[in-house]
Amino acid sequence: MLYLSLAWRNLWRNARRTLITLASIAFAVVLALWVSSMNRGSHQLMVDNLSRFHTGFIQLQEPAWLDEPSLDHTLTYDPALQQQLLADTRLDYLVPRLETFMLAGGAEQVRGAMVLGVDAAAEQQLNGLQERLIAGEFFQPGDGRAVLTEGLARRLQLTVGDELVLLGQGRFASSAAGLFEVAGVVRHPLRELDNQLVYLSLPDAQWLLSAEQQVSTLLLTPHQLQQTDALVSSLRQSLDAQRHRVVPWQELMPEVLGAIQFDLAQQNFVLGTLYMVIGFGLFGTILMMTLERTREFGVLISLGMQRYRLSLVLLLETLMLTLLGVLAGCLPGWLLLRHFHHNPIQLGGDMAQVFEDMGMGLEPILPFALDADLFITQGLVLFVLSFLICLYPVLRVLRLDLMTAARS
Amino acid sequence: MAIITTHGLSKVYQAGKVPVHALRDVDLSIEEGEFTSIVGPSGSGKTTLLNQLGGLDRPSSGEVWVDGCNISALKDSQLIDYRLRHIGFIFQSYNLLPVFTAAENVAFILLLQGEKKDRIRQRVSELLTEVGLGDRMDARPRELSGGQQQRVAVARALASRPRFILADEPTANLDSQSAMKLLDIMEKMNREHRMTFIFSTHDQRVIERARRVIRMVDGAIESDQVQQPEPHQA
Ligand SMILES: Nc1ncnc2c1ncn2[C@@H]1O[C@H](COP(=O)(O)OP(=O)(O)OP(=O)(O)O)[C@@H](O)[C@H]1O
Ligand SMILES: [Mg+2]
Repeated sequence: MLYLSLAWRNLWRNARRTLITLASIAFAVVLALWVSSMNRGSHQLMVDNLSRFHTGFIQLQEPAWLDEPSLDHTLTYDPALQQQLLADTRLDYLVPRLETFMLAGGAEQVRGAMVLGVDAAAEQQLNGLQERLIAGEFFQPGDGRAVLTEGLARRLQLTVGDELVLLGQGRFASSAAGLFEVAGVVRHPLRELDNQLVYLSLPDAQWLLSAEQQVSTLLLTPHQLQQTDALVSSLRQSLDAQRHRVVPWQELMPEVLGAIQFDLAQQNFVLGTLYMVIGFGLFGTILMMTLERTREFGVLISLGMQRYRLSLVLLLETLMLTLLGVLAGCLPGWLLLRHFHHNPIQLGGDMAQVFEDMGMGLEPILPFALDADLFITQGLVLFVLSFLICLYPVLRVLRLDLMTAARS
Repeated sequence: MAIITTHGLSKVYQAGKVPVHALRDVDLSIEEGEFTSIVGPSGSGKTTLLNQLGGLDRPSSGEVWVDGCNISALKDSQLIDYRLRHIGFIFQSYNLLPVFTAAENVAFILLLQGEKKDRIRQRVSELLTEVGLGDRMDARPRELSGGQQQRVAVARALASRPRFILADEPTANLDSQSAMKLLDIMEKMNREHRMTFIFSTHDQRVIERARRVIRMVDGAIESDQVQQPEPHQA
């Protein structure tokens, strides 16, 4: 108590200087929160979008699929597997897909296409695919109809009601050929995929490809994105690795992970620089506080205050200064982030175009993450910083020569 | 019985190339209950001697014994603790913590000693009343005059119940009226509590109040006299 009150009052001996220091710490915290929250938010959105429209968050595959994605390496998707997987409460729902490459033809044109047998309801839940319909409607399971992506439909010069021919190879080198009515056209947000996708209902695809009960990939969707890693490791433990391979989005899209890591490295460099500047400011304040009070330190030690106790007071002063600064930054920072978390910045004009051109299906918005660990990290960094800075006055007190102090 | 004795106490400062002999072979003995003044021209070694007696600095040679303890042989942290429990200090200036009130400045030393809170409160108010500041307990140092600040320092020095109190030119920054008032209080403490005081001074009127006057020249004791102090007319 004695030390706390001494430290607290010492802090306000030069109120103006303390306030300026607090303001600079608070400013750094707000800035750091802003940058890291915006990055986290856009990374999450990117992973979320790409996972939903592309690979899923976690995939279950037959072990050989990754090296050779052919129909010979498919997974048996039966109620037993379904039940086993859904026993984990972190898992929300499953999205089965059977995919292969085939020739797709209309009346005039023939193109290579990626044929996806899907459970339309599950896809809808994963990525709201049905809202992306620009013409027609979705098929019912096994009704012999297909949905094309817009780019492919244009190339094949097909519209709703036309007939689509699919030609290729089924499972175990059987031949596969089928005629499907175009039920609808969707605009897929990933440009690459928009030019080549044919959706069939899962039973139709399985029939076409002679792959009863088979899927090439089973997408597992956790309730929360943050649970992905934990879910992956427990699935890897519970499933037979000989038969099932569990692949998280990081492995499915290594280039995305790389981009995120590069982004974070950049962010950390910028924030590191910011903290260095703030650190020197803080150090300056502490240095002044220490130098001005050399004589007083001498008096205190002369009177009988142990050096380590005095050091403790100085440590408390630094910690209080930082704690106040962090709080003063976190509160407005939190309000700011909360606002932008609920009202993401809408990018207009050129920026929106840039997003569009990236073709990654990103909506032109800047979302903000509001994760607790963002705040905790700022606090921790500054505490470590203040401990380091505090070493100087503490060392000074430990070494202080009373005669020199008395004459200063 | 002597509380302090020094044997062949010497202090040499190395200032630049020439060594400065601040104390030369001082043999001194202070009895309990003394009211002793150390006088001498500037640079004669008064401060150096007091620092040695208070364990604030170490001798170049010789020893300082306090109550049968060779304080020159104590480790730094032991010495700090020794000062806390056995020696009272009044410095010339910057005595008090500016962030604490008069009462807190006095209480501080007791808190360091590990005294109980409720006993501290009572003792602090007794002491401050004794030095005539019973009504200024909650004043910060900057709200007090120099003389009042020194009186708080006296109260603080007494608070720790030391064996003796060292005061290096306690009146140097005071006008003569405040100086006399401070001396009155020190004298009263000496009389009533048998508290031993050793103080240095340049001021002739302060010297006259002492019962023993140790005169220093050039780091050595030139004369050591017991005198009848002038009665103070307030
Ligand atoms: N820390 C030090 N380093 C070097 N020389 C010192 C130091 N302290 C004191 N001296 C020298 O020792 C001598 C005695 O100094 P001291 O301060 O004891 O004198 P003093 O009698 O207290 O003088 P004053 O009346 O001016 O306070 C002086 O010559 C001084 O310059
Ligand atoms: Mg002196």
